Amino acid sequence: MCGITGYIGEDGALERVLSGLQNLEYRGYDSAGIALTDPADGDLTVYKRSGKVEELVKAAPEESPSRCAIGHTRWSTHGPPTDANAHPHTDCAGRVAVVHNGIIENYEQLQDDLAAHTFTSDTDTEVIPHLLERRLADGDDPVAAVRAVSDRLEGSFAFCALVEGFDGVLAVRNDSPLVLGHGEDGTYLASDVTAFLDRTRSVTYLENGDVAVLEADVTLYRDGETIDPTIETIEWDADAAEKGGYDHYMHKEIHEQPQALRGTISGRLEIDSGDVDLELSFPTEHLKSIEEVQLVACGTSYYAGLYAARLLETLADVRASVTVASEYAFDGGRDPWRTLTIAVTQSGETADTLSAIRAADQAGARTMAVTNTLGSTVTREVDDSVFIRAGPEIGVAATKTFASQVATLALVAVHIGRRRGALSSGRASELLENLRDVPGAVQQVLDTEDDVEAVAEEYADSDAFFFVGRAFAYPVALEGALKLKEISYDHAEGFAAGELKHGPLALVTDRTPVLATLTDGGHADKTQNNVKEVQARGAPVIAADATETDRHADEHLSVPDVGIFESLVANVYWQLFAYHVAAHKGRPIDKPRNLAKSVTVE
Amino acid sequence: MLPVGDRPILEYVVEAVAEAGIDEIVLVVGYERDRIQTYFGDGDEWNVDIEYVRQNPQLGTAHAVQQVEALTDGEFLVCNGDRIIDSELIERAAAESMAAPAVAVTRVESPGRYGVVEIDGDHIVSIDEKPEVEPNSEIINAGIYRFSPDVFDAIERTDSAPSGETTLPGTIETLAAETTVTPIRYRGLWMDVSQLWDLLPANDVVLDRHDCASGGDIDPTAAVAERVCTNHDAAVGPNATLRGGTTLGANVTVEANAVVANSVVMQDARIGPGAVLRDCIVGENATIGANTTVTGGRAQVIVEGAVYEDVRLGGVVGDNTEMGGNVTVEAGSVIGDDVSVADSAVIDGRIDPNTVIERG
Repeated sequence: MCGITGYIGEDGALERVLSGLQNLEYRGYDSAGIALTDPADGDLTVYKRSGKVEELVKAAPEESPSRCAIGHTRWSTHGPPTDANAHPHTDCAGRVAVVHNGIIENYEQLQDDLAAHTFTSDTDTEVIPHLLERRLADGDDPVAAVRAVSDRLEGSFAFCALVEGFDGVLAVRNDSPLVLGHGEDGTYLASDVTAFLDRTRSVTYLENGDVAVLEADVTLYRDGETIDPTIETIEWDADAAEKGGYDHYMHKEIHEQPQALRGTISGRLEIDSGDVDLELSFPTEHLKSIEEVQLVACGTSYYAGLYAARLLETLADVRASVTVASEYAFDGGRDPWRTLTIAVTQSGETADTLSAIRAADQAGARTMAVTNTLGSTVTREVDDSVFIRAGPEIGVAATKTFASQVATLALVAVHIGRRRGALSSGRASELLENLRDVPGAVQQVLDTEDDVEAVAEEYADSDAFFFVGRAFAYPVALEGALKLKEISYDHAEGFAAGELKHGPLALVTDRTPVLATLTDGGHADKTQNNVKEVQARGAPVIAADATETDRHADEHLSVPDVGIFESLVANVYWQLFAYHVAAHKGRPIDKPRNLAKSVTVE
Repeated sequence: MLPVGDRPILEYVVEAVAEAGIDEIVLVVGYERDRIQTYFGDGDEWNVDIEYVRQNPQLGTAHAVQQVEALTDGEFLVCNGDRIIDSELIERAAAESMAAPAVAVTRVESPGRYGVVEIDGDHIVSIDEKPEVEPNSEIINAGIYRFSPDVFDAIERTDSAPSGETTLPGTIETLAAETTVTPIRYRGLWMDVSQLWDLLPANDVVLDRHDCASGGDIDPTAAVAERVCTNHDAAVGPNATLRGGTTLGANVTVEANAVVANSVVMQDARIGPGAVLRDCIVGENATIGANTTVTGGRAQVIVEGAVYEDVRLGGVVGDNTEMGGNVTVEAGSVIGDDVSVADSAVIDGRIDPNTVIERG
């Protein structure tokens, strides 16, 4: 999991690539590097450092006349984060420099073929510059060399290369994201548009197997032929990718939830007729015929999937299963023609989720994506996509995208339920009215932040945190615990409230607060009994509840009345709680150790 | 972050400053700072750089200015965040020919609500805040100031009010006793929204002057008049009528057959079917039940013990307040936040926040 970027154009390639790397840091941040082409003699210069991009900025010169550069920010998959393992990697003579994102699966075999070459790092990437060196020595021009080398690589990768004496950037995409930006001042390349969103909004998403040659003009090779790049316009605000007064992106993004949710539902609710408008292309007959909806996802998206599965079973009268994407297989007992598989992924680039959706596709199931990212890989792999419209999310810990994913999946459940004749228009209207009220309810919760902050600080130094809930409140318990452990490094676990007495209760002491979600659709009365069990063991109880179900809780957080979406609103309390515990402890909230925003390796 | 023409009032200030060619803005924030930061971000959308400074506790306008001392090096302007003004005023205040300290002054019909300024020739003598006797001047402090770093010393030397607050008018009086405080005479657009009902005329004026990028999910049978602004995330149901001077915020729903006239409906609010709202301010996330009527017109309004006569205000419905069906709201009523009103109740006067109104 890494971020790569490149630029060719006017002077100031150094500054442009460094700022692109800083914008990409959320993708990984244990080492960083750049390579520059000298405009006078075509020589390459490489600067790289372990640590964050700041370290690289210190090591690099303040300015350079170079018009052409590539850069990399890394998250270790092969080899520890050292200066030597940082990209760019070069060939023996330093005449080729390469930055790479993804994994070269056959790198050991390729290394054996390159026995005469000296390798200086532990990375899989380094085979690329050496392979290029050999092709160039055999007389290939740089473009032919890159095309030949990319054919020999197996795995998922995107790379950019500079070649001494060649006034341009060469780039290849295969299963790892890569996007071109067409600016007035030159052409940009990056793993993600965030790298250059402040410079241009005209972009071209590369497809698998594409080779791009950036010189004064862009040449794009696909299937051996040159093609005209398809240019799309990004509608995100560039400033939405900056922190704007907040100390952390996560805090900003928690506060953006009402706006994100309004975007999610805007124009999609048909309350009068009790239906939704998602522009989905699946034929009604097919939706009627399906026996199972499978949701595949990782991390927070997986918990959104759990919420959705229950919505689907409740509203659409269809069996719904949720699988952690890395564990997914199209197992026996199901008919692929009667299965709809939905990939839930914020970035649309999550490698595990992409593998799972490909497996479903190969088995013959219909596939669909619920994602935040237009033009992302997943949207090209599936039969149809629904966008969650949450806007860019930079903080590694997902917040607003969870809320928007659940809201979007609820719309999908209504769509399927209506097509299947399982959901009456009256019930659908009621549900959509509840959904319509969610943005305002979330804002109400955000307005009580000072109270949540006080609670978080009071309990910050506990031994462990247990989140409990039932039904719709169960995925929220899991998500609440995930948020807390991700950013505060505290031990936190989410349990189905009824499971407490089957084991976890042994962990409960007066130093382990229990955070209970007691909401509509969350069997609050039953959870209440479990809460009494932990109170009897002396554990402090923090309750997010709609009607003060638990009058004996140590802390009350009041959830507005929005029906089966109350658990989703309660989740905002747990986000704020996690944020303030982590802030109180001075954690690097936007860049928790060992974690990266979008995980594009399996 | 009160909205006028579907934009926060503060945005008109930021826009006027940006249009005047100033590109560095510091927002001193306290109340609702999260919302302000979420809305304005780094200021890129307005082509300015915005920084935020938190004022906590909030001890008056002069105290707010003290918070930016470390960020200033030379002369700077101070603008109140709740006045809608033209960029012309900012240009004049920022002009090279102008010298600090200077205070913008304007003429209004009801000076008693503001700081009445006494001017002698070309310098300001005093500012009399909300004078109790009928003021003999209609010239008031417009809330735009130009200062040099000397102002920080003047703030230190100004006594604070018994409440502990220090205000800029107090600081101006300190400065006026020692040096020349120049008045910047201004006759352009100046609207103050210090009282909630000021929102309605402000909204009306803004809808007259500015184009609003209206959008939303408007049923084809709905009647939408000129000078109506609907957010692109708003929805209007069949046969609903939106009359002039009306603004709907994000995610507002106006259901079938409702009539909304000369009203500001803030984000996430819902107007039930058949409701009639005239001259009304509906707070965020409020719910108005079916067939509830706010008849509108002029009335006496009482706020914090002060009586305001002949105010055009149908009613104010607070944030998150839920009104049942068939409620009747008499003109001039002010219903607080988080109030719950039962079906068919009749509301007249002031309702405190968090009140539950049962049917009598």
